[in-house]
Amino acid sequence: MNNPLFLLYGVLLLGATGYLEYTGKSFDRINQQRVLPKSIRDNPGAYRSTYGGYSRYIGGK
Amino acid sequence: MSTTLVSQSLVKAKSLSCPNCGTPIELRGFAHTLSAVCPSCLSILDASNPELQILQTYQGKERIEPKIPLGSRGTFNGTVYELIGFEQRSVQTPDDYFSWDEYLLFNPYKGFRYISEYCGHWNVIRVQSRVPYPTTARGRRGWVLDARKFAAFDAMQAATSYVIGEFPWQVRLGETAACEDFIAPPYMLSSETTAGETTWSLGEYWEGSKIWQAFRLPGKPPSPQGIFANQVSPYAGKTGAAWRMWLWFNVALFTLMTIFNLTKANKEVFHDEYSYAYFKNHDTSFVTPAFQLDGVNKNVEVRFHADIRNDWIYLSMALINDETGQTFDFAREVSYYVDSDGSEGNRDNRVVIPSVPAGRYYLRIEPEMVTGALSTRYEISVRRDVPIYSYFWIAAALLLIPPIVTWFRSNQFEARRWRESDYRPVDSPVMKIAGGIIESLGDD
Repeated sequence: MNNPLFLLYGVLLLGATGYLEYTGKSFDRINQQRVLPKSIRDNPGAYRSTYGGYSRYIGGK
Repeated sequence: MSTTLVSQSLVKAKSLSCPNCGTPIELRGFAHTLSAVCPSCLSILDASNPELQILQTYQGKERIEPKIPLGSRGTFNGTVYELIGFEQRSVQTPDDYFSWDEYLLFNPYKGFRYISEYCGHWNVIRVQSRVPYPTTARGRRGWVLDARKFAAFDAMQAATSYVIGEFPWQVRLGETAACEDFIAPPYMLSSETTAGETTWSLGEYWEGSKIWQAFRLPGKPPSPQGIFANQVSPYAGKTGAAWRMWLWFNVALFTLMTIFNLTKANKEVFHDEYSYAYFKNHDTSFVTPAFQLDGVNKNVEVRFHADIRNDWIYLSMALINDETGQTFDFAREVSYYVDSDGSEGNRDNRVVIPSVPAGRYYLRIEPEMVTGALSTRYEISVRRDVPIYSYFWIAAALLLIPPIVTWFRSNQFEARRWRESDYRPVDSPVMKIAGGIIESLGDD
């Protein structure tokens, strides 16, 4: 093998890909909360999402 | 040790005196020596007769000390050669001057060998009795010898500018020859034409350390400067090997992707359609029916599709464990715009939540659209344990880096080699940019 660095690089890359795939890791931004009252099921409006209240510019005045 | 080793007892040098200054001169080349240089006054003497007639007296003031001392013995391919002559040859053009050294080696049974040295680059040379035949190589004039194609590299009018030792020809200072070099690294085929007679010689590139080792010289050889015509590229054969390895890694990557694709459950656990309608001061949030997520800490993909056109819908969502209250909070926008110039955005979007423990879950969804939007239909589906192909595409892209860098470096080395040629090809803009990038990364 005349390119051991490439071999090592490729093996590590494949290993990392396999690990990420196996563990189901994701690049998506997810906010995780531990405790949430069960009453949310009956009153979903009481829940305040991290991403709620998202306001956007829609143009004009 | 080889039987061709020349010992002091076997070969006895012929001793004569310089007719100009009386300094004793030892001739080691026997009947082969046709001219010799007095080591004291540097007069060139005719050694073909015992009287040693003076052919030329040295008018220069500078004495050049060969890097390998005369009389040194070196072993080449198991044969011991003695260094009997040294000459410096130079090329003078209106805008350039350069010179190189040539060493003459002799073994009474094997004949002559030459060594040339230019800026720390060495070649071991043999005069050829065979005549190469013409061809084209790298799109330019070339020759074929021993099934190797040699491409024209440079041509010059070289003059002998300094001599010392003895030579098997009538050497003269200022004597010129038309020289041409043709390369097939590590070999160099050279032609020398004088008075209508052409001599071919084949040189092989040697590292200075190998020359020093052959002569058992103390210290280190001079460091090579630049890239020599027939110097072996450090990337020779590596580009092809790198692409072959890239291919194998891609096969492995594809196999890995197939295995995960076959083994992942990729099971839809929830799917429903909803409709959004805006009412002022009305809470739009709602929850879905609960669904079961099996398996240990597998990922969950939530997909969205909205029937929108020139509009957007923003979905603030939470995946909530019905039993423990553990919540995964996320949001996605789906927007799609189209006009006469084309379209922008997508009616679909998705999010992958990693490592979600097994259990019963429901989604809390809070849609948002522009005020006054008409009723919009959208779908939400949830899948458990999905393969993420983006990792494989990223890995495939990253795997391209080593072969591309090797290819650029190899091309850059060859570009630097041919920059010294009389037949210099024009660098392509791509190679110029790539060369700049590689150089800025610290390549020497």
